[in-house]
Amino acid sequence: MKRRQFIKSAFLGALTGALELKAGNLFAKSGETNVEDNDLVAVMGGEPAQMYKRAIEAMGGIKRYVKTGNKVVVKPNIGWDKRPEFGANTNPELVSAIIKDCLAAGASEVVVFDYTCDEWRSCYKNSGIEDAVKAAGGNIAFAHDEKYYKSVSLPKGTRLKEVKIHEAIINCDVWINVPILKTHGGTRMTISMKNYMGIIWDRIFWHANDLNQCIADCVTYGKKPVLNIIDAYRVMTQNGPRGKSVEDVRIAKALFISTDIVAADTAAVRFFNQFKEMRVEEVGHILIAERLGEGTTNLDNLRVKRIKIG
Amino acid sequence: MNYKIIKQTRVTVALFFIVLITLPFIFFINRETTFFSYFLKLQFIPSLIAVFTGGAFIFLLLLLITLLFGRIYCSVLCPLGIFQDIVARVSNLFKSKKRRRFKYGRPWNILRYTILAVTVFLFIGGISLPLGYLDPYSNWGRISTEIIGRVEHLCHNIFALILPNAISYRSYTYFLLGAFLFPFLFALLVVILSAFRGRLYCNTVCPVGSLLGLISKISFFQPVINKTKCNKCQLCVINCKSQCIDLEKGVVDVSRCVTCFNCMQVCNKGAMEYKFLVRSKRTGTSSELPKEQIIFSNDRRKALIAMGALGTAIVAKSMEHETPVKTKSKTTGITPPGAVSIERFKKNCTACYACVSACPSNIIKPAYTEYGLDGLLLPVLNFSNHYCSYDCKVCTEVCPNDALLPLTLKDKQLTQIGQVRYTPKNCIVYTDGVDCGACDEHCPTKAITMIPFKNSSLYIPKVNYDLCIGCGACEHVCPARPDKAMVIHALEKHGIALLPEKEQQKKIDIDDFGF
Repeated sequence: MKRRQFIKSAFLGALTGALELKAGNLFAKSGETNVEDNDLVAVMGGEPAQMYKRAIEAMGGIKRYVKTGNKVVVKPNIGWDKRPEFGANTNPELVSAIIKDCLAAGASEVVVFDYTCDEWRSCYKNSGIEDAVKAAGGNIAFAHDEKYYKSVSLPKGTRLKEVKIHEAIINCDVWINVPILKTHGGTRMTISMKNYMGIIWDRIFWHANDLNQCIADCVTYGKKPVLNIIDAYRVMTQNGPRGKSVEDVRIAKALFISTDIVAADTAAVRFFNQFKEMRVEEVGHILIAERLGEGTTNLDNLRVKRIKIG
Repeated sequence: MNYKIIKQTRVTVALFFIVLITLPFIFFINRETTFFSYFLKLQFIPSLIAVFTGGAFIFLLLLLITLLFGRIYCSVLCPLGIFQDIVARVSNLFKSKKRRRFKYGRPWNILRYTILAVTVFLFIGGISLPLGYLDPYSNWGRISTEIIGRVEHLCHNIFALILPNAISYRSYTYFLLGAFLFPFLFALLVVILSAFRGRLYCNTVCPVGSLLGLISKISFFQPVINKTKCNKCQLCVINCKSQCIDLEKGVVDVSRCVTCFNCMQVCNKGAMEYKFLVRSKRTGTSSELPKEQIIFSNDRRKALIAMGALGTAIVAKSMEHETPVKTKSKTTGITPPGAVSIERFKKNCTACYACVSACPSNIIKPAYTEYGLDGLLLPVLNFSNHYCSYDCKVCTEVCPNDALLPLTLKDKQLTQIGQVRYTPKNCIVYTDGVDCGACDEHCPTKAITMIPFKNSSLYIPKVNYDLCIGCGACEHVCPARPDKAMVIHALEKHGIALLPEKEQQKKIDIDDFGF
């Protein structure tokens, strides 16, 4: 998609969003009674925004998670100076759809940031996310300096007792975790929990002190994402998490959403396993987080909805 | 001629150029565009050094301008010269009227031409650093980077505190005391000299000034005193910042005149004229013209020597000979992309720091001993704050000397500026028995991959040295302390890495969620 085309569609989308909001005010709210209630929703076969729309409906609608006047943070993966087709960063169309939905639900502001690996300005720009955020009405926050991070304690942490977390997360009312599904040389996979590495400052310390344990420890942080939305539209099935060429990426056209971060990552790994062998047990931090009581890997105990589009 | 308009034009153009030539050293501007960096190529020494890589046109143009009009370069194109004029002007505000007057000063020819001869001689021999230390453009580059750039950085961060959501905080720049002190003391010296003695630096130390001065001895247009009109009122002398008008003898020392038109503009009698001069083979005064309006052969001889030296320098450059004297490089200095080799870099870089200012990741810093003594203060890569971005080649674009040759992005991505050395016994996976993968995660070419470690479930890095381009990402992120497991070592000569293979994947159609 060309930028102009993208901005156009983003603008039209924003317009539709605004009109829908008005329609909601005009007509009686009839949808409230039969709101769906699921723990995990998996969608496949659609475009990012379309899949998000179906998924969030099945999760009971965004208003269940974002209240009027809420300060919202949407945290995608913007780690790399790569264009969207390389599948290294979260899909900007998905980020855009989420921001618009939050604003339509009455969020007072939606802030987007990531502590990038590559030079941050290039990442924000070339990932397409900065433009998408601005077009959707959200705000970009800076995250490249230690001054943007505040120390919090992790009483439930094993290895990590204290961590510096980005002030946007600390100051917000709710935050939404929007990772992209990729392989990783150190932790085998990078999904929702690994995405926490973009809200904290001292990653080097984590790498030096049992990465998987640190990730799980950080997930015990009190303010949890209200939703984990996994972008699996493009899935990097080799050479992750940076990738070297578009050949590393498969167009999988899927999306997973859950309030349970362990379940969300479990579902994503099992989906990934169809492309390339990967067992949930191989991804160390998922099991540790389950042990720490952050969620379940047993998807059979959850209300799971599977949606296929087209 | 209306000298008033000429002078005002000169001042306007000069102010325009000092801004244009300073902007590429301002980080904020650099982030938006490299457009202003092209103006750096208009400088004399860069055009001379890059004479075989695209600088020839500018170089000949500058020579031609000097041959026609004298040292106009020193007045309108040289940022350090313009800066000195500004200092002299400003310092006048703090001086009594009497103190503002310049007097005729005798030339320090022995010092001046010794400096020129030594610099040219060394340059011909392939040693450019003394030239770099004295070149007015390179000095201005260092002043812009180390002083003006730091002030801009400070202002930027003050604005970032006032508007935290709109302006990003700039975290770091390197700071090396020596690299700061050199331009600082240099600027101080130039400020003092120009405040009291006008263009003394340009006419005593500056090799470019001395060289162009010799050439301008035979320039077509020169300032000439019309003795019949002159009433020796001293107005011209008082206003001559080059202190080169000798009214006793009634001559202007054109080798020191920077063609600023101040004298012509102030002369009430119209006695100071900018004249087209006649050439004479003889040293006598057989022509009817007054002596001042004839260029004599001994002046021509001097100009020819200067141009001969310049020619020799160019020929020496074209031969790409070995540098006769060099201190042994310790090969710990990693040169930026496009440098080709440490030796070539030393020959061509004058340490103007255009690349230092332009690097978006701020990883180019002045060298201390990394390149050996003859590389002191040349730009060198350092990965402690960040690493060289795979999709960036800004440094090669902004270099006016072509000390960093322009590279296509494809070539830059295959240029081995250094090579990683992997020490498994320092690796976290080996020492602590836990997963890490930071290096593999960051490696843009997949020179680093992760392989199963012994019989555990852990994975440990493996390096394919043919793919490594020395970008420093692995070194930067390696968490091992005190010694990192991944360290980039410099290469005497940049290599060419193998093209990373595209790993095609079997097409798999998925119709299920897998759970």
